[in-house]
Amino acid sequence: MHLSLSSRARRIAVLVVSTGALAVFAASASMQGPRFYPDDPIARDPESQDASKTTPYDESQMYELFYNLFVNSGHVASGLRAMNINTIDEVPDSSWFTNRIGTRPITTAEITRGTNVGAPPDPSKWVLTREKTSGAHPGFTAVDAKGETWFLEFDPTPYPEGATAAVAIATKIFWALGYNQVESFLTTFDPKKASIDPKATLRRPNGKRSRFHEDDMNAILERVARKPDGTYRVVAGRLLPGKILGGYRYSGTRPDDPNDLVPHEHRRELRGLRVFGAWTNLTDIKNANAIDTLITENGKTIVKHYLQDVGSTFGMCNDYHEWDLSYEYFYEGPPSKKRLLTLGFGLSPWQKADYIEYPSVGKFEAKTWDPRTWRPQTPTMAYMEMRDDDAFWAARRVAAFTDELIRAAVHVGEFSDPAAEKYVADVLIERRDKIKNIYLTHVNPIVNPRLDAKGLTFENAAVAGGVAKGSIVYRASWMVFNNATGATTPLSETKSATTTIAAPSGLPSSGFVAVDIAADADAYPTWKQPVRAYFRQDGGNWKLVGLDRLPEKLPVTTK
Amino acid sequence: MCTASVMRLVGLVVLATVSTALSASAQEPPSDAAQAAQATSRQGEIEQEQAEKSTNLRPYTPNRAEKLFQRVDTVLEGGTIRWHPFFENAYAGGGFTLGAGHANYVSAYNYIDVRGSWTFSNYKRFEAEFVAPRLWNRHAKLSAIGGWREATQVGFFGVGNDSGEGDRTNYLFRQPYANALLTYFPVRAKRVVLRGGAEFSRWNLEDGEGSYPPIGSRYTPETLPGLGAEVTYFHTQGGVGFDWRTAPGYTRRGGYYGVTLHDHKDQDDQFGFRMVEYEAIQHLPILRETWVLSFRARVQHAMDKDDQQIPFFMLPALGGGSSLRAYSSWRFRDQNSMLLQGEWRIMINRYLDLAFFYDTGKVAATTSDLDFNGMKDDFGVGVRFHGPFDTPLRVELAKGREGFNIVFSSSAVF
Repeated sequence: MHLSLSSRARRIAVLVVSTGALAVFAASASMQGPRFYPDDPIARDPESQDASKTTPYDESQMYELFYNLFVNSGHVASGLRAMNINTIDEVPDSSWFTNRIGTRPITTAEITRGTNVGAPPDPSKWVLTREKTSGAHPGFTAVDAKGETWFLEFDPTPYPEGATAAVAIATKIFWALGYNQVESFLTTFDPKKASIDPKATLRRPNGKRSRFHEDDMNAILERVARKPDGTYRVVAGRLLPGKILGGYRYSGTRPDDPNDLVPHEHRRELRGLRVFGAWTNLTDIKNANAIDTLITENGKTIVKHYLQDVGSTFGMCNDYHEWDLSYEYFYEGPPSKKRLLTLGFGLSPWQKADYIEYPSVGKFEAKTWDPRTWRPQTPTMAYMEMRDDDAFWAARRVAAFTDELIRAAVHVGEFSDPAAEKYVADVLIERRDKIKNIYLTHVNPIVNPRLDAKGLTFENAAVAGGVAKGSIVYRASWMVFNNATGATTPLSETKSATTTIAAPSGLPSSGFVAVDIAADADAYPTWKQPVRAYFRQDGGNWKLVGLDRLPEKLPVTTK
Repeated sequence: MCTASVMRLVGLVVLATVSTALSASAQEPPSDAAQAAQATSRQGEIEQEQAEKSTNLRPYTPNRAEKLFQRVDTVLEGGTIRWHPFFENAYAGGGFTLGAGHANYVSAYNYIDVRGSWTFSNYKRFEAEFVAPRLWNRHAKLSAIGGWREATQVGFFGVGNDSGEGDRTNYLFRQPYANALLTYFPVRAKRVVLRGGAEFSRWNLEDGEGSYPPIGSRYTPETLPGLGAEVTYFHTQGGVGFDWRTAPGYTRRGGYYGVTLHDHKDQDDQFGFRMVEYEAIQHLPILRETWVLSFRARVQHAMDKDDQQIPFFMLPALGGGSSLRAYSSWRFRDQNSMLLQGEWRIMINRYLDLAFFYDTGKVAATTSDLDFNGMKDDFGVGVRFHGPFDTPLRVELAKGREGFNIVFSSSAVF
């Protein structure tokens, strides 16, 4: 009896504790809010706070180099989903990024224009005001005949047209991809039409600035490629509006920017830049090649983030002895160990790459190249955090570049050798196809699900991209979704051999439904992992409000 | 557990539960989570977080490591940090060297570097160098040095290729010196290089320190020209070279071919002489510069002048960290020398090379004796820590007929 009472008492205690726990959970759940808000999915990230208190700062380049090489290199990716995506797994527009290709049609005229909205420089007169303040290639800061300030960048002697073409082309491509770019134009610098501003100064080795002399100009011109007529081809970058705050980092947030909430390594557009960088061979990723500016837009002062210097593309080198560029970090343990132990007999992939080096192109090819093993110069935190869904997101944008668009973008480089232009475009096309093959097939590629009277319709990005073949059976598991609690109630399962699947009878007439969409395809076992789409009744129509391609957190892996 | 106890437990749990639920809604001010819960839209939720951050803004503050690197950046950009390490010792063979310098710009590009070094063998060197790197519209570079040095135990093994290892004696010298070297690039492409220079120096020799016998115990001024003399030289030199290496301090391709003529005029016309030096360096990259086969040939030919004698300490010599590396510094001396070196350099990564090397050479009294008979040789392996243009640390282990030698150097071998 005593035992029985005690047992009953225990059961009561368990019940009460459980009830209490549920109450706390419920309170906690109610504090977390609903899974979807009425305005989901948002198309633009708000920047609500005044950022005028931000102050300029340039991170030490040597510190960044060493930190990336010897600290970041040991970073273990968190496996966390990107944190700046909206509820349908897309990146909203923001001061970092604007959705362009892949979300709307881009014409060849648009990509040719790119970010350029103003008039090109007038090269009939240049007044040099100081040295170029960023970028690896030689140049000046100069004012054109119309009085506008430009940053002029020349081609190093070994690469006539190369560096300037790289900037011209890459700014178009990265603009189309969604990044804020500097307006850039190919133009001419004629020393006979150049003068030096009497107030122009140059920083000298003694750390002081002194007057900019003609010999200073000549010192730069002697190191760059000159055309037969004595003029120089330059790419002119327009002075950015606003106050320059220095470069952004690829991890953490600006502590002085109230609108910068998401650690940069968890921004999808910075993670996905790894795919875009691999595609274009943008190797020189660092703080100094990015720029934050303080601008006033719609009455608000905010920080705008530019991917500023994209000139280290298409095999353009910054230095001597860079055969391993894009295959190895500046320092990387395993290949170093391999060469040490094999005395260099164990060849690295970059030793086997079949480069066709045009003077204007450099080391850029597609046969040996693999986007998964491609390397920027140093380990980049955001790149190391890239998950398969980030890569899929990026690959869809690369896939949206048609051959015609790529050739139009490359044509902007104004190569005097048509073979060089064709070569760059051909390599970009071949690299694009590799990216499609690898990343569009690596995760369940269901995209753009829609639910209407016809049922559930969607697209298979891998099939649409022409990189998946064979029969595919799609399965849809239907659920009623409780937006307040997150609970799901199974309904039924339907399937189809096409990308339209009938909806089951008994779908609720209001509220939310969730659908797990999986694909059975022999060649792609990962497609069995369903994509979950959430729809909300919205004025009699089902609106897509959520899409989970991969779990919130993936097992921790090193990259 | 009795019923009363159970009921007390239940009471506590209920109390805790209620208080938790109440406190969740009654806290002032609300927590972040509570604030988020109050949002009714995604935009509102984000804006609340931004508003919260706006109350806690602070400028970016670099940590101590970054501040340190900022100073390095400043140096690399030609900045204001003046102190630097200086690892050149007073004379070859001094051993491990400690030193420092302090550079002061006297104009935009010209600077004066005051520096000194000391070795564990008590070699000492103090000097000031004026450098003007952009003379004549950047066609020329001038270096002018004034200083004083002391080498306490320089080895002398006798003259000739067959001098014995066990015949080592040591001498000491002290030397004030002042020199200027002008390097001229006629076309600024820096491939053709002309050099001209002049130097005043005075050699004061004494018996050496260290564990080897002093030189005076085996030689006299009659048996060894220059011993005991105080020689004041006016040394002039002129040379021409063709240099298409990426940088003399570190390269994986290109070459250098040059000849330099020296005239040493003794103030007392006793020990004057002339010397001609030929040097050829060629680097052959293989496997996209993973391997570099590097070769160097150097011939030095000293000539008597007007029946004057060449002092033993000015004779062409072989041995030491940049010639016959397994041998002691100044191991072989005679009026002519020939040095051939070959290296198989392997790129380990951008900052580290491994190298296997073979050195061979000889000294001879006459040029006709500079053949391939009786060559001294060695081989070894080493690592080089380098940047794109310089080799700040070279560590090598060399093996020759006289044993092993470890080389520490702050410059490229060639």
